[in-house]
Amino acid sequence: MSRISFGYSVSEGKVINLDQQKPAWLEKIFELEPSLHRCISCGNCAAVCTAGHFTGMKFYRICLNAFRGQTSDLKNDAKACMLCGKCQFACPRGVNIRHAIMLMTQIQKP
Amino acid sequence: MQQPTVSIIGAGPAGLNAAISLAKMEIRVNLFEKQVKPGGQLSHWHTLFPDMYDAKTLLKSTINEISHPHIKLYTTVNIRQIKRQNNQWIISSDGNQEFISDAVIITSGFNLFDATKKEEYGYGIYPQVITSLELEQMFNGRREWPFSKDIEAPKAGFVHCVGSRDTKCGNNWCSKVCCVKAVKQAIEFKKQFPKAEVSCFYMDLRMFGKGYEELYMKAQVDFNIQFIRGRLSEASPSNGNKVHVKAEDTLMNRPLKQNLDMLVLMVGMTPAIWLNQHAERIDFEKPKFKQGFINPVENYQSTIYQNTPGVFAAGTCKGPASLIDVIQDAKATAFEVFAYLKKEKQNVEILEKTT
Ligand SMILES: Cc1cc2nc3c(=O)[nH]c(=O)nc-3n(C[C@H](O)[C@H](O)[C@H](O)COP(=O)(O)OP(=O)(O)OC[C@H]3O[C@@H](n4cnc5c(N)ncnc54)[C@H](O)[C@@H]3O)c2cc1C
Ligand code: SF4
Ligand code: SF4
Ligand code: SF4
Repeated sequence: MSRISFGYSVSEGKVINLDQQKPAWLEKIFELEPSLHRCISCGNCAAVCTAGHFTGMKFYRICLNAFRGQTSDLKNDAKACMLCGKCQFACPRGVNIRHAIMLMTQIQKP
Repeated sequence: MQQPTVSIIGAGPAGLNAAISLAKMEIRVNLFEKQVKPGGQLSHWHTLFPDMYDAKTLLKSTINEISHPHIKLYTTVNIRQIKRQNNQWIISSDGNQEFISDAVIITSGFNLFDATKKEEYGYGIYPQVITSLELEQMFNGRREWPFSKDIEAPKAGFVHCVGSRDTKCGNNWCSKVCCVKAVKQAIEFKKQFPKAEVSCFYMDLRMFGKGYEELYMKAQVDFNIQFIRGRLSEASPSNGNKVHVKAEDTLMNRPLKQNLDMLVLMVGMTPAIWLNQHAERIDFEKPKFKQGFINPVENYQSTIYQNTPGVFAAGTCKGPASLIDVIQDAKATAFEVFAYLKKEKQNVEILEKTT
């Protein structure tokens, strides 16, 4: 059946493909720290983060990458954290950020 | 002295509740419904947000209450005009039946947005693309799932704001209930298919009511539903009976694509009628592009329609609202009608009976 083409496209280089299965180790992180699911990308964690000030690391972006199965930089990004815990004081959704970060820094990819 | 009569136009949740309240105050009611059965849009829902309350139970108990000696229900009667005559209103139907009453409550409700108008989502073309109404029918077994029974882990997407917040459709308003309805439906779907993967494509999550935000957190934490901020741009056919969707993930700042077994369009609310007001009569017409909902006299006198004595409006004919809001509004309107009759008609009989 013919339809109007609206010309919507995706640039293949940048696209997030949700058809891809999330790796088992990532599912495991969510299982070990289920509070990760509570994140609403409000950005409070990044607003207080001293490490982020120097390195550009933002926890909510790590979290988003994890949600979307974008794992290539996860471990490196997490390593920028110095586990001071300020973000956890600020987080309105009670995400156990430090534990999530610890799990991510210990990722052993198969 | 004759007891006053009130005509209520539309037997959805608003009309039913207004009728029940007026009957309790000893007022006689003519309740008109153009459909075969009363209940309005409530008869379409399987379970209600935010508490998963069984919609049939609520519908049944409400309908039981209208079998009251003061309430006369007329079904398959479509009202098309009301006319003022000596302090009263004459209500006329499509079949030219006429009814006289002392006051009128318009409770004509809403229509669901016609999803074929958003051509880019392919509703009516791809069988995997369904509306939120059709999903409710799948939940209560009145409609088949759009994917094969062999699929154990179906992938489903929910598109928020279909026909709402959209100047292209002439509908600038937010339909208020569809965000939480999507969350409710996503949870219900996961309960039926625990291995399913579910994403909600939203622009803002508007969780304004009691228990809504909590339900959203439950969807995230207990049901692992993914929330993606970005309006779905397009759906197109894909291999293996799937539909391919594209969106900009605005939080990730990247485009996103996915193949789905089911795509649910959260269709918004549009007005069911437009009131064309003349000097001594009001015609009920089909709304035109951009015409919007009925305007009450002002926001703080929201039960009275314009400056027309004896004409009131309740429920979603005035704009999107949840059932809880509609029921409260209907009860408040019934009281205003009672106060109007008491003042206008100096009707001793109602006073004597209720005090
Ligand atoms: C997708 C969706 C899901 C929803 N789910 C929920 C939920 O889970 N929980 C919740 O609280 N709310 C929910 N709602 C909202 C709820 O459906 C409404 O609040 C409620 O139905 C409004 O009641 P109403 O009486 O104002 O209008 P309606 O339900 O639309 O009833 C109006 C009635 O008037 C009749 N009528 C119209 N014009 C005429 C005429 N000229 N003559 C005679 N009769 C006429 C119509 O046939 C209809 O029966 C949902 C809404 C949508 C869009
Ligand atoms: S614990 Fe890590 S992420 Fe949180 S504020 Fe401190 S350095 Fe930043
Ligand atoms: S403060 Fe908490 S909820 Fe907000 S973005 Fe950070 S982790 Fe998420
Ligand atoms: S309630 Fe949510 S889905 Fe519905 S129109 Fe408003 S923002 Fe969109």
